[in-house]
Amino acid sequence: MRARAVKGLEPDGALADNAERIVRTRLDELCGFMPAAADPEQVVALHDMRIAAKRLRYVLEVTGPCFGPYAKTATMIARELQDLLGEIHDCDVQIPETRAFAERLQAADAAALRARAGDAGDLDPALLKLAPHARDHAGAAALQAYLHARRLLLFDRFVALWGEYERKGFRARLLYAVGERSGR
Amino acid sequence: MAKARDIDVAPSEPFRQAAARIVRVRADELADSSDGVLDTRDIERVHDMRVASRRLRAVLEIFAPCFPQSEFKSVLRDVKGLADALGERRDPDVHIAALEDFSKALLPAARPGIARLVEDLRERQGRGNEAVAAALDRARGRGLHERLLALADAAAGVEPRDGQEVPA
Repeated sequence: MRARAVKGLEPDGALADNAERIVRTRLDELCGFMPAAADPEQVVALHDMRIAAKRLRYVLEVTGPCFGPYAKTATMIARELQDLLGEIHDCDVQIPETRAFAERLQAADAAALRARAGDAGDLDPALLKLAPHARDHAGAAALQAYLHARRLLLFDRFVALWGEYERKGFRARLLYAVGERSGR
Repeated sequence: MAKARDIDVAPSEPFRQAAARIVRVRADELADSSDGVLDTRDIERVHDMRVASRRLRAVLEIFAPCFPQSEFKSVLRDVKGLADALGERRDPDVHIAALEDFSKALLPAARPGIARLVEDLRERQGRGNEAVAAALDRARGRGLHERLLALADAAAGVEPRDGQEVPA
């Protein structure tokens, strides 16, 4: 996901003034993914939201001291969000990979069984135990079930976590912190 | 995981001065994290270097307007290339570790399938390691660390040092 351009940055201007512009843009970018990312089917929105959280986290990591104690809390929130969305993303990558692995095993076994059957009129189920991957299917199936269940659980955690951030006024408090810093 | 060094910043300091200081620290962190990164027995090393590369990339992007643009783009491209190669190694590292844990929780009859998947991932891990080795060679050959320091100097308005010629 391409980062939204930050307008009005001044290399000779004060760090805090420039950092404020960047934080505002990155925060807006992050929050803009909701409510779309609350739909579990919106895999791309979730992935992009993770990247937006990462960008906000990194700008806060280096410029947070300009903005008082809430910036540290916001850094931890961005990190927590990034980590959780990262775990969901891992599931989204591993689910199709595991499915493809299971399908490769099945296709290889089907080809081997067909070859063993030779001129038979039908396939003898007893041949199944001779299939090259006979012992591998159970693990592949268990892994697919586990990854699907884990994805569901992590997604529920994400929705709950975002709701908690909203209740605690994450966005408004960070905007206040960057806008009302001392010494302006 | 290696923690990023804390960097003191002053709200009123010029953006470009902060850029120079922060990029120097992050560039050194990247260089310091490269030891033993090709050892597949210790997956934390590649993780630390990947995180260092991400942090460096992030600060380059944050402070982008402070740098001479042609050199900035070239350096950023090289940092991204290194980060991508580290990701090629890291992804199978993580997946293998997770599957090994997962396998322990399974009934013994279900473990062979997971072991076979781990074998596939070991091959990917090997290819990822080759990509990291090539990316490290390329970064050294192109003087990436020196170019990062030169970029920081340029942001701070420091004149190039004698003999500071680096490939574009």
